[in-house]
Amino acid sequence: MRKLLEFLIGKRHWFLFILLEAVSLVLVYRNNAYQRNIMFSSANVVTGYIASISGSVTSYLNLRDINKELLERNGQLELQMLDLQDQLDALIADTVSFKGFAPDSAEQFPYSFVVADVVNNSVTHLSNYITVNKGKLDGIVPDMGVVSERGVVGIVSTVSDHFSVIIPLLNPKFRLSCKVLGSSYFGSLSWNGRNTLYANLDELPRHVEFQKGDTIVTSGYSAVFPSGIIVGTVADFEKQHDDNFYSLQVKLATDFQALNNVRIIKNFRQAEQIGVEQEAKRND
Amino acid sequence: MINNLLRSFIYFVVFVLIQVLILNNIHFLRIATPFLYLYFIIKMPVGSSRTQVVFFSFIAGVVIDMFSNTPGMHAAACTLAGFCREPLIRVFMGKDLPEGIFPSYKTFGFGGFFRYVLSFVLIQHTALFMIESLTLFDPLFLVVRILSSVVMTTLLICTVEAFNIESQKSGE
Repeated sequence: MRKLLEFLIGKRHWFLFILLEAVSLVLVYRNNAYQRNIMFSSANVVTGYIASISGSVTSYLNLRDINKELLERNGQLELQMLDLQDQLDALIADTVSFKGFAPDSAEQFPYSFVVADVVNNSVTHLSNYITVNKGKLDGIVPDMGVVSERGVVGIVSTVSDHFSVIIPLLNPKFRLSCKVLGSSYFGSLSWNGRNTLYANLDELPRHVEFQKGDTIVTSGYSAVFPSGIIVGTVADFEKQHDDNFYSLQVKLATDFQALNNVRIIKNFRQAEQIGVEQEAKRND
Repeated sequence: MINNLLRSFIYFVVFVLIQVLILNNIHFLRIATPFLYLYFIIKMPVGSSRTQVVFFSFIAGVVIDMFSNTPGMHAAACTLAGFCREPLIRVFMGKDLPEGIFPSYKTFGFGGFFRYVLSFVLIQHTALFMIESLTLFDPLFLVVRILSSVVMTTLLICTVEAFNIESQKSGE
């Protein structure tokens, strides 16, 4: 024991050295944003890689459900196609020389999408984020809209080379312009931070007519989402305090707790639309 | 003992003031800054305990950090350099130095003092600039910065030593 004590006292400059170095490095780390960011970003590469491995394993477990969902969606689309085909046939039969219906072949539909796998997902926090395995190299840029097979998911916030982070509907920072299907008045959808199945649609004018169970879709005013993508259904509603607007509780169509594949929407004309809107504001 | 403390204190105040008021504003060709305050650690008497040297090096680093707004960087580098001070003296001068003398041209000899200062400054500057950049993003520029600062600091310390009245007296 005495030998040990003597040894420790003899080496006390070592302990002092290590202690003071630790203090200095803590000071460096806590007070310098540059050093902290370097440590953080190198850590992020590692966590992203690990998350993508675990995501590729767990994605197999849900294949059965995904398959079923896809079949359902397929069936719906087939029905829709038949319906439209029917209408088209009827129109052609009715008006033999109807030419105005033919679409302009030079007109290009301005949206396309990229399919991505979810590698990290949170639903339990107040501000939730989703990470997917497509990034800058796949043509993803911030502010692109993201949808799942069932409905709207969120919007791309930051991208790295191979990953991007999505702010989903389950994040109070994200507000989405929505309308009741069939009417053209729009309100603003946001999450209140409590239940992952529901969100609130506020500022909807009082004279809009709707019932419980009606479908809520995107309004298409934001250049991020095309109009008419399903967001959810009306679960409940009440008048707001100032009495001129409705506040709706919307049951979200997307099941955020079992999210596997998402589609990231590219809008070729987004930059153009935002540019012309900003110019209009500047000229105002 | 009291005399020694007082002397160290005066050295500390004078050179830290020179450093923060004048030398911190020098960025020669935007790459090199001389760090003269290391002179305070270099001139501590031979044979003072390593605990003492490490502790005072840390204090000097922290004070410089406070003034130059780089929390922890100088402190970490100085602590490392102070820790290496005694082994350096032993390597360059051997063990048979009388205790309590101050490192100077007369006690160490010109070559010995120069080598001691150069290696001390090299250790401190390498640690400092490594902590500051933290990545090897532009290694050539990092090396240029380290070497140019080392040259400036070493030259400045040797110059100050040549004009130091105290070391000329104590050598007699």
